[in-house]
Amino acid sequence: MYYMLLSIFFPILAGVFLLALREMKVRKNLLCLTGTFLILEAVLVILALCMSRGEMLLLFNLTDRLPILFKIDETGVIFAILAVVIFLCAGFFSFEYMKHEKSEKRYYGYYLIVLGVLIALCFAGNLITFYLFFELLTLSSMPLVLHNRSREAIMAGLKYLFYSLAGAYMALFGLYFIEKYGNTLTFSAGGVISTQTAEQHTALLLGIAFVMLIGFGVKAGMFPMHAWLTAAHPAAPAPASAVLSAVIVKAGVLAMVRVVYYIFGASFLRGTWVQKGWLVLTLITVFMGSMLAYREPVLKKRLAYSTISQVSYILFGLAVMDGDAVTGSFLHVLSHGFIKAALFLCAGTMIYMTGKTKVEELRGIGKEMPILLWCYTIVSLGLIGIPPTGGFISKWYLALGSLNSGIPGFGLAGPIVLLVSALLTAGYLLPVTIHGFLPGAEFDGNTSERREPSLFMLIPVIILTALTVAIGLFPNGIIAYLSRIITKIV
Amino acid sequence: MDLVQNFPAVSILICLFAGIISSGLKGKAARYVNIALILAVMILNTCTLGYVLHTEEAFVYVMGKFPAPWGNEIRAGVLECFMAVFFCMIMLLSLLGGKKKLADEVEEGKTFLYYVLMNLLLSSLLALVYTNDLFTAYVFVEINTIAACGLIMIRQNGRTIEAAARYMIMSLLGSGMLLMGICMLYDLTGHLLMSNIKEQVAILSVSGQYRIPLLVTIALMSVGLAIKSALFPFHAWLPDAYGYSTVSSAAILSSLVSKGYIFLLIKIIYRVIGFDIFEASKIIDVLFVFGLMGMIFGSLSAIKENDVRRMIAYSSVAQIGYIYMGIGMGTQAGMAASVFHILSHAATKSLLFIAAIGLTDVSGGSRKFIDLTGAAYRNKWAGVTFTVGSLSMVGVPLFSGFISKLLFAQAAVQNNGKMLPALIVLGISTILNAIYFMKTVIRIYTPVEENKYECVTFSSMKLYAATLVCFIGLNIILGVNSQPIVDLIQQGLSMFS
Amino acid sequence: MIMLVILIPVLTGVLVPLLPFKKRSHMELFLETMVILNSLLVWYLLMNRPTEIFTLANFTGNLSISFKVDGMSMVFGGLVSALWPFATLYAFEYMTKEEHEKVFFMFYTMTYGVTLGISLAANLLTMYFFYELLTLVTVPLVMHTLTREAILASRKYLYYSLGGAAFAFVGLIFVIIYGSTTNFVLGGVLDFQKIGDRTDILLLIYVIAFMGFGVKAAICPFNSWLPDAGVAPTPVTALLHAVAVVKSGAFAIIRLTYYSFGTEFLKGTWAQNVVMAIVMFTILYGCSRAVKETHIKRRLAYSTISNLSYILFGVTLMTPLGMVGALSHLIFHALMKISSFFCAGAIMHQTDRHYVHELDGMGYKMPAVFGVFTISALALMGVPGLAGFVSKWNLASAAVDSGNVFAYGGIGCLLVSALLTAIYMLTIVVRAFFPGKDFDAGTLEGVKDPGWKMLVPLFTFTLFIILFGLHSAPIVRFFGDVAAGIY
Repeated sequence: MYYMLLSIFFPILAGVFLLALREMKVRKNLLCLTGTFLILEAVLVILALCMSRGEMLLLFNLTDRLPILFKIDETGVIFAILAVVIFLCAGFFSFEYMKHEKSEKRYYGYYLIVLGVLIALCFAGNLITFYLFFELLTLSSMPLVLHNRSREAIMAGLKYLFYSLAGAYMALFGLYFIEKYGNTLTFSAGGVISTQTAEQHTALLLGIAFVMLIGFGVKAGMFPMHAWLTAAHPAAPAPASAVLSAVIVKAGVLAMVRVVYYIFGASFLRGTWVQKGWLVLTLITVFMGSMLAYREPVLKKRLAYSTISQVSYILFGLAVMDGDAVTGSFLHVLSHGFIKAALFLCAGTMIYMTGKTKVEELRGIGKEMPILLWCYTIVSLGLIGIPPTGGFISKWYLALGSLNSGIPGFGLAGPIVLLVSALLTAGYLLPVTIHGFLPGAEFDGNTSERREPSLFMLIPVIILTALTVAIGLFPNGIIAYLSRIITKIV
Repeated sequence: MDLVQNFPAVSILICLFAGIISSGLKGKAARYVNIALILAVMILNTCTLGYVLHTEEAFVYVMGKFPAPWGNEIRAGVLECFMAVFFCMIMLLSLLGGKKKLADEVEEGKTFLYYVLMNLLLSSLLALVYTNDLFTAYVFVEINTIAACGLIMIRQNGRTIEAAARYMIMSLLGSGMLLMGICMLYDLTGHLLMSNIKEQVAILSVSGQYRIPLLVTIALMSVGLAIKSALFPFHAWLPDAYGYSTVSSAAILSSLVSKGYIFLLIKIIYRVIGFDIFEASKIIDVLFVFGLMGMIFGSLSAIKENDVRRMIAYSSVAQIGYIYMGIGMGTQAGMAASVFHILSHAATKSLLFIAAIGLTDVSGGSRKFIDLTGAAYRNKWAGVTFTVGSLSMVGVPLFSGFISKLLFAQAAVQNNGKMLPALIVLGISTILNAIYFMKTVIRIYTPVEENKYECVTFSSMKLYAATLVCFIGLNIILGVNSQPIVDLIQQGLSMFS
Repeated sequence: MIMLVILIPVLTGVLVPLLPFKKRSHMELFLETMVILNSLLVWYLLMNRPTEIFTLANFTGNLSISFKVDGMSMVFGGLVSALWPFATLYAFEYMTKEEHEKVFFMFYTMTYGVTLGISLAANLLTMYFFYELLTLVTVPLVMHTLTREAILASRKYLYYSLGGAAFAFVGLIFVIIYGSTTNFVLGGVLDFQKIGDRTDILLLIYVIAFMGFGVKAAICPFNSWLPDAGVAPTPVTALLHAVAVVKSGAFAIIRLTYYSFGTEFLKGTWAQNVVMAIVMFTILYGCSRAVKETHIKRRLAYSTISNLSYILFGVTLMTPLGMVGALSHLIFHALMKISSFFCAGAIMHQTDRHYVHELDGMGYKMPAVFGVFTISALALMGVPGLAGFVSKWNLASAAVDSGNVFAYGGIGCLLVSALLTAIYMLTIVVRAFFPGKDFDAGTLEGVKDPGWKMLVPLFTFTLFIILFGLHSAPIVRFFGDVAAGIY
């Protein structure tokens, strides 16, 4: 069980160590060090997962009533695995990508810290611990956003910071009330609010729940507090964008899972105005994100809009509060994580190799880097929801759950919006493939020759693509595992 | 009859005699006579005070053994004696503090006249304090006015003459009204002795006769004395008179002369009209409102003023407003607060005038604020003293001003109707006081780049410094050890009725 | 003994310009020794507190100057005496660049005694007395640089403070008249028989007195003196205008509310809502002004305004828990704000830069200072694990617990203000550590961290911020005991 602590604090300390270290003369040393840390951390997390018996670990008491608790449960496991895999891939990707950037050491330092904080978020046993690391996550990931220190990046970093903090404080607002009315902040499947309290203070508690959802929704890029995302994600270096878009937004998702299913309890919220409001917000976000992505010419920004849209798929599933829909959500957490990371890494590679940022300019890229573009195409199909990729399975479950749920109006409206959005997704992702492989008649093919990127870049992309396909092909194991969660919380 | 009972009458008489004698003396000799006189009067009255405190009742001394209603009576209670002692003390300190300045401002040949006037003034003040006879009071009011005019005019320049003329006119208007009031009272009651009038007035008020004439009488006397003591709308004469006369005169005028009239008014309220009748009349509300207005407008004028002496003079208007506010509350507590404020204001205001002169002297005689910059470094004693006076005026604990404020506020709380206006104006006026006094204090402690003026050393102003120390001491005694004094005032007021 | 701790600093202060020190270091040694000695005495006194009231002098009637050590005195006195030695140490280094050191240290040290006087006062009158004195001894400190700006600021400070005291005085009178005693008693001293049907007037007076004392605690609309007073040397701004003086205002309001009028009388009345509304408005006003401000010290001053109203928010909840929240923020904010002010001072001392936009890239040149600043910024924002979180938590959960719907709005204000705090503090941090691309490090040639006299206080405060953040249970329990009247 101390592996759990180790897996949290090892990367944080390693990151601080890197930051405190003097500037290294030989770049290789830094890379070796970082690589070792990343792999060690992966091992530690796996050990922690294997050794855990689901017991609580009380670190210390912040105040009399606020313990800092850690506990590994199934939900945490899913998110932790996602985080570790993507951080590993993106980390190795950075070794090549960050070659020409300044202050690499700082980048890796914060990168490691963010990983540790994320793991801590996954393992947090109560809301206050969660909140603590949620704030730390914001603070430690900000340096990743403003890494290249252009005016635009700094502004984006600050925007990210203040939006996230605003969200966190809205959540904190709820925390105060939960502490009083729930009498505890410890997560427990099915909620902590007793039915008696729930009856007495229904209006208040519903209001609180909604505020908390909006608050945590900031991190997940949910409308109306999504504006930071399209500024911050593209501003960061590509591997950082990948972890931001694929993992860190999922912290918001995790937060909402925890609040809805482990604090308030699905039974309390089901059928209330909060559920309906939340559904409306997620659907708006899904549609709006896709629309905006469709209109966006810059590839990385387009992907960022896509993230807004796709994360709200997940949130939609959570908001439906139906077993199948929630299964879909969890599946989409994983598949969107892998897909979006892969997409950002692909985009990063393209920018790195060609220096071109707009979709229009990326003509004929399929001739230069066919493997990369094939990977891109496969994961794009996944995001659109075409079998045999993970995206298909998750969307299938989402639609199924939504139809089953029988929420008047939304049961049907949901799947329709999802479908429309899937079409839009095809509309905004596939042009890259099309332009890449079929540059058009007037394109002068002679200027480009085949030059695949280095393996450091290619292998992570391939791994992620493979994982996406794997989920699509062999979903049963995961679904079985998820059903263990679902039975407890829904 | 004990020997002590003669002392009040004797002290008034020796003042008059000293005045006559001094007129034949040279300046320096007159000064010594004057100082000796004040000391003697102080000792005599202290004995009387002790006696009255011991017997615990006031005594009436019949001049020349003519019985009432023909004779002339003096009445000495605790409060009268205490006032007399206190007035002497302030007068002595003011004269000592202003001595050097006096030599500069008054012609060599006329110095003795100054002291003659001072003796007369003291006699009239004592008489106002002690008399039990309205007509005697009137006579000494006139003597007082004339002496005061002389004190203003003795520093001969155009402005003082103008100021004196103005003072004279306003004062005579006031005395005229007082005289009319006395006449009407005589008409109504057929008496001039206070105690006799009071009996008659009580009978009249019970029977309901002559209600309106009685009201008019009260109004005439109150307004007459209010004019003389520069209550707010009648204060036009004050800034010039205090601002341009020689400093001892200003100190004495502001702290004693106007207070003498107020004391007379209080006496009339208690001993002639009767407190209850006065309280029932509307006049009291008028006084209250004028008092409040005075507190605000006096301070506002002071803020606008760019001349330190005139600023202090305007501050007097505000402080007199406080006193009338206390009287206007119509409660024993309010009255006690007013009497205490007479003391505390007398002590503070003379201190401020004397300290201000020290500051202007080291600033080339200029009284403009711009020239006063850094004056406190040039004359440290005056600087410190001025600061103490200012703090007292603002009402910082430890100094006398705080206790008056405390008493006023306590009195206000006990009066339902007048509580809120009184408290709010008290608060605002404190802020205004803070503004102009603290502005000055900061100004005098702001050092200047190059010193245009000489610094004075301690050795060149031993007497002056000693006076200042006495003033500060007096102020702090009033501020810290106020309980016995307040007791004394209450005892004295209860002896009135 | 009680008199001694008040008199030692005052006398030390008076002695500073009188004693012929041969070297500057001798004066430093003398001052530091006396201040530490006094602090030790204070702590000794607080630990072995005499239970009876010590009366020095009688003013009139039952009004006296008397002292007593109770729970609140322990909190405030303990705070002040813990901070003063460090602040003095800091001042030694800071003042090397300023003139008239002796006068400065004279008043600086005297203020210590006066502040202790406030904390040890046993009745409203005594407190009022020291409260006025505090204004007077600190004016010369504001005036210190003697520039036109400083003079204007000190005038403003004086007018505001004395004016506020004038209205507080009105409250004092009412407590004297309607109270059964003037001594501080937890739960209030009002005599309900005397009040009769004059409740509304008394409530009005409470509001007036609250505003009066609130001037020192810089509540809106009486706050503009505080940013202006920032012209004073930084040790003054940090210790006095972030801790001693302004906290005296808050302390006085606690005394007024909990120990004189009594929460039983005030709770649930319109007066409570009025003062709470004012306080909530101030919270928002202070931090939005801070965001706009570009001068570092003025920005921090506005932040102080907002944070002081956090304390007052706790006070206006009028529950024991609210008082616990208020007390914890009283202590923790003191630590956080003094440390951020000291950082600002260190920056000004080392580089003579006063504006936020001049701080680009300084984080690498002055890592210690900016590290400390970052910690204090995070603490002020309320990041868990640092002291600010604990006090905010206490305040907010007290608000939730009070069940007053109006107070829920207050929690909202706290959180909005926390966000604004993040904006105005973290922009500085980001600037310092992540300067723009075109930043030229050459402009910062020769800039380095200050000497140990400045760093020791900084590190100590930071240590305590973290310590209280991680392990606040004992001290919060102590506050609970104070609020329950055990001490």
